[in-house]
Amino acid sequence: MMTRFLTLLAACVALTLPVAAHAGPLRIEITEGVIEPLPFAVPNFVPESSAAAKTAADIARVVAEDLSGTGLFREIPSGAFISQITSFSSPVQFADWKAINAQALITGAVSVQAGGRLVIKFRVYDVFAGQELGTGLQFAGTQEGWRRMAHKVADAVYSRITGEGGYFDSRVVFVSETGPKDKRRKRLAIMDYDGANVQFLTDSSSIVLAPRFSPTGDRILYTSYETGFPKIYVLDVASVGRRVLESQAGTMSFAPRFGPDGRTVVYSLTEGGNTDIYRMDITTGQSQRLTSAPSIETAPSFNPDGNRVVFESDRSGTQQLYVMSATGGEPQRISFGQGRYGTPVWSPRGDLIAFTKQNKGRFHIGVMRADGSEERLLTASFLDEGPTWSPNGRVIMFTRETQGAGGQSSLYSVDISGRNLKRVRTEGGASDPAWSPLQN
Amino acid sequence: MNTGQYISGAGHIGLIGWLLLGGAFAPAPEPFEVTEVSVISTEEFETMLAAERPPETATDVSVPPAPEVPQDQPAPPAPQAEPDRPQPEAAEAPPPPDPRPDVSQLAPPPAEVTDQPPVLAPPPPETAVLAPAVSDRPRPRPAPRVAPQPVAAPEPDVKVDEVKREEAVTEAPAETPREEQQATAPEEATTEIVTEATEEPAAPATSIRPKTRPARSEPAAEAKPETKTTAKPKPDADTTTRRDAVKDALAEALAGAASEPAAAPSGPPLTSGEKDALRVAVQNCWNVGSLSSDALRTTVVVAVSLSEDGHPVGGSVRMVSASGGTTEATRQAFEAARRAIIRCGASGFSLPKDKYTQWRDIEMTFNPEKMRIK
Repeated sequence: MMTRFLTLLAACVALTLPVAAHAGPLRIEITEGVIEPLPFAVPNFVPESSAAAKTAADIARVVAEDLSGTGLFREIPSGAFISQITSFSSPVQFADWKAINAQALITGAVSVQAGGRLVIKFRVYDVFAGQELGTGLQFAGTQEGWRRMAHKVADAVYSRITGEGGYFDSRVVFVSETGPKDKRRKRLAIMDYDGANVQFLTDSSSIVLAPRFSPTGDRILYTSYETGFPKIYVLDVASVGRRVLESQAGTMSFAPRFGPDGRTVVYSLTEGGNTDIYRMDITTGQSQRLTSAPSIETAPSFNPDGNRVVFESDRSGTQQLYVMSATGGEPQRISFGQGRYGTPVWSPRGDLIAFTKQNKGRFHIGVMRADGSEERLLTASFLDEGPTWSPNGRVIMFTRETQGAGGQSSLYSVDISGRNLKRVRTEGGASDPAWSPLQN
Repeated sequence: MNTGQYISGAGHIGLIGWLLLGGAFAPAPEPFEVTEVSVISTEEFETMLAAERPPETATDVSVPPAPEVPQDQPAPPAPQAEPDRPQPEAAEAPPPPDPRPDVSQLAPPPAEVTDQPPVLAPPPPETAVLAPAVSDRPRPRPAPRVAPQPVAAPEPDVKVDEVKREEAVTEAPAETPREEQQATAPEEATTEIVTEATEEPAAPATSIRPKTRPARSEPAAEAKPETKTTAKPKPDADTTTRRDAVKDALAEALAGAASEPAAAPSGPPLTSGEKDALRVAVQNCWNVGSLSSDALRTTVVVAVSLSEDGHPVGGSVRMVSASGGTTEATRQAFEAARRAIIRCGASGFSLPKDKYTQWRDIEMTFNPEKMRIK
């Protein structure tokens, strides 16, 4: 009986299988992977002239530090290399790089041409695929600009591997702080994104706050107490020339920010004890009031399209985030979590809004979608505030202040996933960072 | 008519009289405070406002300028001597401002049950020490690698690899010589990204009180009869034979059905366990950490042909289809998938050789939906 049943069953299966057998290749679905830094190798760039020997090694170092600094990549130390790159044009021995698990290989050459022009050329390889990622690229510039050229190489490599723009060839304007907490001297300073090439834009004779880059990175808005009252100034980065932007007598203006068109500015103005948000066309000087509530509205920030503005307001009784049209109108509250929210900044990608949150005695830097959903807190400390976005919307820089009378402000950066939290190298105290767009 | 006039007249006289004499019956006015006020100038008002500004403001602007000391001019005539009046202290000179910036370089460079009741022992002396509010002991950050399965940190001397291998050392000559190999273990990993905000605080939330000393066990009065446990009945031989018969019959049917077309997969299909093993092998190498947001929204189907020893055939990895992303994102997603297949296939996928025709050609769907936010 049993044998008959088995035979019958086998026959049934046999009848149905031909179809399955013809179903084609084996199919599997992979839905879970790993998240870890991608190992890469950057052998020293090949100096094609004796004058370029040191620069070639320096450029390779900057490229490696840029990529490692993102937390997305991990450099394989040169001591592990099996083969060396001695010629830019010679074929790559992929097996040697596979053996040390280098998934990406960056090779390059540097030469100094007649007239002192520095030329950098490079290639990026997918080692395990045994092929080049994109095609070779070359940059030329002055020898003094080698560091910036190295950042450009790193941006190109980052873009080819991740598929999104880089942020290495960018600058950060911030408030440099010196002296004890009760007698702090502040001045505007500008530096490369990684803390190199610091230069001061103002002296420390008056308090300066909240510098903000224009969309082209050539101008900076900031607030100064030079006249005794907070006033907004616009400063030309190249010439350090500046002028007052808002000078209504008996008012205080602050928290300015450029719109994406570079000519519209949103800011807060306090008049008669009430603080509201205004916008101004800086070419004509025409200003328009966007809010008119008896509460405090401040810290406005445009979305990348320039048609909406996110800001903070205590109109509900606690400090929360609101979004309204860039021409004014009824604002919509987007933050509903516990605690107080402030200093919202729209991502250059437009999908997220970074903010500062104060809850249960701790400060956080967080991100949420533009409709207020998917709030995620990335940091937690005694005092974190003032987020600014990297040009590609992948990293957030902010101010962290340590506790106590000897507390000092420093700049920190964190990936929007909450990984790779690290301090940005600055000499002395630093606060209020603002990230520039990528330089041309 | 006259009556009306009389009434009107009397009313008016009464009203005029009240107005004239009413004040005499009015209560005394309430006392009120008188405060002296003074008129101040605009400059004085601005000075007062300046004092209410944030302390940072006061730091720099409240320092008075240093008095100018004339040098070349002749000393003014000494005033009449007033020996009792103290000399005013010289005002402190303000700190010199930092030098003006150098503008020349500013151009932009190109996470026992027992039947005996418990005997309460006398509480031991209080030895608990409350944990400090904040522990200074550093806590290691969670592993940076995020993987489907958590992995403990490997021993310090162990080489990191995808596969765990025991160390093999040829100490004494053996009949079958073993190739020496270094011990390997997978890299430490956690299952999700733990941000600073979601990390557990270093300090314990509550202090652990010392446990009471366990009650001294009393001597057992009688040994309890052993309770026999009924072992699970093992499957009898007949059942095993039947299962084998079914398996064989199914395998035969599968083989027979598939042998007809030459190019089609033949032999028994891979079991779910074998498929899982292949999936795990590939996913351990599928690194999505460096993918863009767009690429993390792109699903790609990648085809690969394997040789009989389980290695990917060179150049056989190709994209079959993609969905959800831009061209650039699709390229990034495919490259990550290709790296996963080639990297983990470098040592050969562990697949049953007798089912080679089943896994010779594989289509893998890489769906990063679960990997977007970890």
